[in-house]
Amino acid sequence: MSNVCEEQIFGSVFKANSKTIFNYIYYKFGNEEKANDAVQEAFVKLWENCAKVTPEKAKSYLYTVANNLYLNVIKAEKVRLKYADLHSNAISNESPEYILEEKQFKQKLDNALNDLPENQRTTFLLNRIDGKKYAEIAEMEGVSIKAIEKRMHLALKSLREKIDGI
Amino acid sequence: MQENYLAKWLNNELSETELSEFKKSDAYATYMKILNASKQLEAPNFDADSAYENFKNAQDIQDVKVVPLRPFKSFLRVAAVIVILLTGSYFFVNSLDESYSTQLAERTKVVLPDNSKIILNADSKISFSEKKWDKERNVALTGEAFFKVAKGKKFTVSTEAGTVSVLGTQFNVENRADFFEVTCYEGLVSVLYKNKEQKLPAGTSFLVVNGKIMDDTAIKNGQPSWVNNESSFKSIPLKYVLAEFERQYNVKVKTENVDTNQLFTGTFSNTAIKIALESISTPSKISYKLEGENVLFYGEDTP
Repeated sequence: MSNVCEEQIFGSVFKANSKTIFNYIYYKFGNEEKANDAVQEAFVKLWENCAKVTPEKAKSYLYTVANNLYLNVIKAEKVRLKYADLHSNAISNESPEYILEEKQFKQKLDNALNDLPENQRTTFLLNRIDGKKYAEIAEMEGVSIKAIEKRMHLALKSLREKIDGI
Repeated sequence: MQENYLAKWLNNELSETELSEFKKSDAYATYMKILNASKQLEAPNFDADSAYENFKNAQDIQDVKVVPLRPFKSFLRVAAVIVILLTGSYFFVNSLDESYSTQLAERTKVVLPDNSKIILNADSKISFSEKKWDKERNVALTGEAFFKVAKGKKFTVSTEAGTVSVLGTQFNVENRADFFEVTCYEGLVSVLYKNKEQKLPAGTSFLVVNGKIMDDTAIKNGQPSWVNNESSFKSIPLKYVLAEFERQYNVKVKTENVDTNQLFTGTFSNTAIKIALESISTPSKISYKLEGENVLFYGEDTP
């Protein structure tokens, strides 16, 4: 029977989930250091309890630990995200006006994202950046898929309202 | 439009008609822009491999065999030791007698478990066992104390010189070096001295100075004078008077050319040292010098 205590399995669980746990905590609180700590902490707990946690349960176990770690403890900071430089090596045919406009739009989006409630922002970014399905996000957050859909809907709605100045 | 249609739209779950309707709305353009811009978003860098290395270094996962820690087990050990120490000291402390003592020039009142009262004169100590108090009322005394004993079982005062037992009364016991005096103010007191029992009715006292039983007939007041801030003596060798003086004022007494065995009858104040010195020196026809905490009594013919 496979067991999380086996280093092979533990290592693959680590590699499969650590990045998403990092992002998950970062999207919530905007603190990189805490997000790194959360990854270590969650896996320490998993390692300590490796005999009790099956590989199938490992993922939700990790998110529960990471989530509980900072529950009500740290105040959300500004979430700073980078933009992939898609145009760097390509020859840009766009007009300077378009590029400026795009830059301004990204600025607006940044601000709007920071103003979102923590759970809406986390859902939106996990879906957009990490490509997580609603079902996966629901598992991480321990809520129903419908609740995640609601968060996603509200996130988009407020982002758009904020950006269009409604 | 169905519930949470924006979320459905992202998941391509809108029906054809819903989609075309949505596309016609003013907001659609902005939503598309949000989607495009958010495609380029990136989270801060996270290196899963180095994070795993960090984790392994911290856990020593590779080389060390996993020994399940049982923090509770060692906690239990510590807890057990603490419990043993605590119970041990509890019984030890409980078995200790209650004790009260006074320093020089100090006095204190003690109320015993049965409401009997003790006034401790200067430089004295009593102790008794609170736990056994219901079975036997037994107080050990060194020094001097006045007892107001509540009615009840036999009440015993043990001193080095002798034992005093009563049923319920008021009496004074003084046991100093070579000096043992019991005075009964109320009721009947039994004194056991050198295996001889003597009954003291109210208003009489029993006095042993230097191992000799003295004829010591009694007193006037209902309380020993020291309770009222005076020390009274009746035919007592001067050295015991001076010793009491030292205790009451916390001073050192020296004598020169003074017969300290001469008998003294009189009273000195325990609160006014000048008056007390006069009260002692005048009847004894000696002089005194008071310097700080030292008092010198000297005979008339000393230069």
